[in-house]
Amino acid sequence: MQWLRNILDKIEPAFKEGGKLEKLYPIYEATDTILFSTDVRTHSGPHIRDSVDIKRVMILVVVALIPCYIFGAMNVGYQMALVLGQSSTWQENLMMGALKILPIIAITFASGAFWEVLFSLVRKHPISEGFLVTCALIPLVMPPTIPLWQVSVATTFGIVIGKEIFGGVGMNIFNPALVARAFLFFTYPGRISGDKVWVAGPDGTSGATALAIPAVVKSQDAVKLLESVTQFDYSWMNMFMGWVPGSIGETSTLWCTVGALFLVVTGIASWRVIAGAVLGLAGMATITNFMGEMAGSTNTMLTLPAHYHLVMGGFAFGIAFMATEPVTGAHTNKGRWVYGIFIGALTVIVRSINPAYPEGTMLAILLMNAFAPLIDYFVIKGNVKRRMARYAK
Amino acid sequence: MKHITIKRGHDIRISGIPSREIGATKQSEHVAIIPIEFRGVKPKLMVKEGDSVQIGSPLFFDKTKPDVKWASPANGIIKTIQFGARRVIEKIEIKVEGTDAISGQSFSSEQLAAADRLTILKRILDANLFPLIRQRPFNKVANPKDTPRDIFISAVNTAPLSVDLGTVIESEKDAFQLGITALSKLTDGRVFVTMRNAIELKDAEVQTVSGPHPAGNVGIQIHYTKHLKPHDLIWTVDAQHVITLGELFLTGSYQPNVIVSVGGPGATKPQTVSSKVGAMIKTIITDQDFSKDVRLISGDVLTGKTIENDQFLGFYDSSIAIISNTVKRPFMGMLALGSNESKYSLTNTFMSFGETIFDFNTAQNGEERAIVPIGAWEKVLPMDIYPNELYRAILAKDIEEMEQLGIWECDDEDFALCSFACPSKIDVGTVIRDGLNLMELEG
Repeated sequence: MQWLRNILDKIEPAFKEGGKLEKLYPIYEATDTILFSTDVRTHSGPHIRDSVDIKRVMILVVVALIPCYIFGAMNVGYQMALVLGQSSTWQENLMMGALKILPIIAITFASGAFWEVLFSLVRKHPISEGFLVTCALIPLVMPPTIPLWQVSVATTFGIVIGKEIFGGVGMNIFNPALVARAFLFFTYPGRISGDKVWVAGPDGTSGATALAIPAVVKSQDAVKLLESVTQFDYSWMNMFMGWVPGSIGETSTLWCTVGALFLVVTGIASWRVIAGAVLGLAGMATITNFMGEMAGSTNTMLTLPAHYHLVMGGFAFGIAFMATEPVTGAHTNKGRWVYGIFIGALTVIVRSINPAYPEGTMLAILLMNAFAPLIDYFVIKGNVKRRMARYAK
Repeated sequence: MKHITIKRGHDIRISGIPSREIGATKQSEHVAIIPIEFRGVKPKLMVKEGDSVQIGSPLFFDKTKPDVKWASPANGIIKTIQFGARRVIEKIEIKVEGTDAISGQSFSSEQLAAADRLTILKRILDANLFPLIRQRPFNKVANPKDTPRDIFISAVNTAPLSVDLGTVIESEKDAFQLGITALSKLTDGRVFVTMRNAIELKDAEVQTVSGPHPAGNVGIQIHYTKHLKPHDLIWTVDAQHVITLGELFLTGSYQPNVIVSVGGPGATKPQTVSSKVGAMIKTIITDQDFSKDVRLISGDVLTGKTIENDQFLGFYDSSIAIISNTVKRPFMGMLALGSNESKYSLTNTFMSFGETIFDFNTAQNGEERAIVPIGAWEKVLPMDIYPNELYRAILAKDIEEMEQLGIWECDDEDFALCSFACPSKIDVGTVIRDGLNLMELEG
């Protein structure tokens, strides 16, 4: 790769101060350091440093998403074949699905990169690797039928309003990918909710997600209701595996779990958030089951048991890749527990109590993003109180 | 006996570990005192170029506390006094000629035990050795007018590639004991000596510590023994300087000896040598073979400063680290799997899981970025302090919040590992120091 290095070294002066392309330096810098690890040396503080950097952290999050991408493509193809009544091999599914989702991925990265580069040029900050993660997340939370222009608009909103106006990666309050999804959810609900969007097929192909079914039928047992569905296999195992309609990357709890494990083991994601969220979900689901029965409610969602909540909708994906995002979540370890528990509990509450929003995880995480600083505030206050008591002695 | 167990922290497995036995004494033809390395001191010269000085004769004093003078570490002639911008005294260099030392009163251990605070204090001040005593908060030269709550001595070095203090104390046990007895007169509280393996000591509270770096940092030991409250004052003395003080009382004169470790991936012969205070760097590393581009560091690799061959060992430093300055740029390095040889991380983001020692170089391994709090700082800071929040409070210059978050107990050296581990390559220690400076200014 020496030839590439030589080219980069040759064109470098043009981008340096006083060079012709001085204003485009962030583009050169990003290309240079993505292709070849930086040779920046320590100048103050510790003379030696850990090998990990933000580029590595971010790229590993993207790596963790790869299983969801592959499975997502296969599932999109599988659902297409299913609705057309064809039988197909997994290779055919993968191909069909990939053709469907590649344009979505391409448009996301193109829009994301455009805004990231534009902001870094205007505000003279280095191009941040964080946009790679944001852009890798967005297609996975979109239905396969989403119009491309909407993807572009949503990505723009997510990157600009969700991140750049706060100063870029590390300064943002809300998870940019979720901001993008929430933006579409409230502006063009017809293309990201309901039962017409989850299966890519001929126009008007209908297929309700598993969560939407108990949300609209009254006074039934949710599990029996799901099992009575004939169009799709809504058994627990099948939903865990992910062969059901839904957003591109979020249907498979199995592969989300694999991704989450990878992030926890590498030390990027906090296991406390994940454990808290699962506990919160299980706890609140048990409470709603119990309360629903006590009150004699006709809301079928209230009868949905915890282990079904776990494998349905975007919960697994949201918890694995979005709630664990370190910047927008709680920063203290105690806070992470509370943050996670609330996300899990709120997910169940939104899903069960408000059938208009069967997908509760997105809203739960966004809401808790807003409250994360408050949670940290109380944790820190506890620490301060302890210290002040010590000082008073 | 109290035992402190440190759980959070990390012993960096850096290559070039100095051998334990203390090697030959290295003589230096030139020695120097660098007045600018003493924080908050306003030096006023007591010598001029061409003057003859003896070991122990005063070179300068601090205008803010005129009793505190700095002893010459050598007998000879003042070769140069180097001034910087605004006439700041940057260096007082002495050409060494002979070994004459100023001699004063010596004490037997009985005399020392019977002596009162004023006698001891006067003896240390008269010997011009008071700068060996530093204070917390702020980690600066103490003020003889203060009476400290307690005195803390760390007899454990956990910093990478440092001198094994156990061996040093073992060989100088009498002087160490005498130094402790002398110091015990200076406080109304106690003298805490923290060791890896306890030995019997009089006039001191001996405690043991186990666990990874920064277990040997005196700030951490204070934190685990008796928290430093606002308006508390603690004095600290390096273990080697306790020996220097002990020898002063034993022999009546200043023995400017220091045991120095020389190590690091760039050191061809990692060793521990005996040298003189303020010695020229190249005289300490005569056994090393330099053919590659290396960085020399006076102090340890985490907190030391870059130094050249013809510069001088820092006053409080007892190690020299040598690390390679050659940084390669692997293609697509951010996607590399990594191995024990190529990567070293406290996270598991690379396939480097072994316990092998690692050849560190001066690479920052990434560019500076905004904080992405994946818990890297918290994992290596064994204090009841939230570093992230404290860091933010300092940047916001919020004095009240800094105090609430515990800045009084902090020193930049305790946060060096945070900077080491930080994936955003943020220099936490420097910011902590800024915060302390601000506290000092405002308080």
